[in-house]
Amino acid sequence: MADENIEPDQSMDKKYYEDSNVNQDDLILQQSKNIEKEISDSIMLVGDKEEIMVLEQQYIGDEVYKGKVKDLARKYSSLRRTRPDGNCFFRSFGFALLESLYHNQSNYESFRIIAEKSKDKLLELGFQKFTLEDFHDQFMEVVNLIGKPDTTEDTLFEVFNNKDYSDYVVVYLRLIASGQLQQDADFYQNFIEGNRTVFEFCRQEVEPMFKESDHIHIIALSTALDVGVRVRYMDRGDSTEAIAHDFPEDKAPQIHLLYRPGHYDILYPL
Amino acid sequence: MSTPARRRLMRDFKRLQEDPPTGVSGAPTDNNIMIWNAVIFGPHDTPFEDGTFKLTVEFTEEYPNKPPTVRFASKMFHPNVYADGGICLDILQNRWSPTYDVSAILTSIQSLLSDPNPNSPANSMAAQLYKENRREYEKRVKACVEQSFID
Repeated sequence: MADENIEPDQSMDKKYYEDSNVNQDDLILQQSKNIEKEISDSIMLVGDKEEIMVLEQQYIGDEVYKGKVKDLARKYSSLRRTRPDGNCFFRSFGFALLESLYHNQSNYESFRIIAEKSKDKLLELGFQKFTLEDFHDQFMEVVNLIGKPDTTEDTLFEVFNNKDYSDYVVVYLRLIASGQLQQDADFYQNFIEGNRTVFEFCRQEVEPMFKESDHIHIIALSTALDVGVRVRYMDRGDSTEAIAHDFPEDKAPQIHLLYRPGHYDILYPL
Repeated sequence: MSTPARRRLMRDFKRLQEDPPTGVSGAPTDNNIMIWNAVIFGPHDTPFEDGTFKLTVEFTEEYPNKPPTVRFASKMFHPNVYADGGICLDILQNRWSPTYDVSAILTSIQSLLSDPNPNSPANSMAAQLYKENRREYEKRVKACVEQSFID
C-alpha cells in the first residue's frame, strides 16, 4: 500500500469521531433560543391597539394585499398584534375573549362557570390532577380579574404581557383544546394527517407550548368554551376581500382574529 | 422570591416525596431549587440492572412551559445519551408538554434505558452495537453499571 509509511493522523480521527457525537440537540436548542430572543426583545406578547390602516404600510406595492387591507378597513377599526412565537392563536384568543368579557359583563358569569368546570372534564379524561390544578388556578386568577371592580383595560394588558401569567393562560387554553379533541376523538380523527391517533396529535401538536395552531385547534377551543370566533384570512388568494370563517360555524362571533400565513393577530370591528 | 417556576418545583418535589415512582429519586440541591440531583436505578431485566445513575436537572424560570436540561452525571453507554451526558429524548425537546413534572421526566428516562431508540442516536457506537452486536453492547453497559457504584 502506498500510504503504508504515512502515520495516520490520530488526532484527526479522534476529532472526527467526537464531532459525529457532538450534542446536536444542544446546538439546535441554542440556535432556536437565539432566534426566540431576537423576537421577544422586539415584539411584545400582546401589543397596543393600532389603526387598521397601519397594515397598508407593510404592503406597499403589493396590490393583492393592499386591496384586502382596504376591505378590512371597511369592517374593522383597529388591530392588536401578538408575538409570533407559535402561541399567537391561543394568546390572541385569550386576550380578545377576556377583553370582550370585560366590556360585556353580562356574558362574564356564564363564561366563568364554563372555565371553572373545565377542570373537571379534563380530570375525567385522565389529565394529571397535580399539574392540571396548577394551570387551572393561575388561569382562573386571570379570569377572575374581569369581575373585580378595580380591574381596568390596562390590568389585562399588563397581565398578558407578564410571561408568568400569559404563558399559563396559553397552556391552559391548550389543555382545554386538547380535552375537547380527545372527548370527540371519533369525529376529529378524520381531520388528523399522518398516522396518528387524536391522543398522539394532542400530545405532539396541541399541548406543547410554541406549537402553531391550525383549524382543528380553533374548532376545538371555540367549541369547548362556547365562544364564537371569526377569523379573517389575508393571503395571496384571488378574492378582493379577506375571507371570513366562523368557528364554530353556527355561532355569532364574539371575537375577531386576523390570519396572515403563519400568524394570528386580534381585530376590532367598527 | 417566589415565581411560578419555583412554586411549581416545590409542588413537584412534594409529589415526588409523597408518591415516589419505583426506581427513581430526586431532590433540589441545598441552596438552589432550580438545580436538582436525581438518581435512576437501572431497570430490572436490562443490562443496566443494579446501576445507580446520577443525573443533574437544571430548570429555568420558564419551567414548566419549557423543559429542564437533564444530563447524566454518571458515565453512560446508551444509544441516546451523548458523551457529555446530554439525553436525546423527544419529551425533553420538541414534544415537551407543560403537564409533565419531575416525576414524569425521570420515569421517561428510566424507560429509555430499557427501550433505546437506535434510529436517533446520540452515541453512534452504542447504537451500532445495540443493533449489531448486542453482546458487546451489554458488556459496555455493564462496565458503566460497575463504574456507577464507585462514582
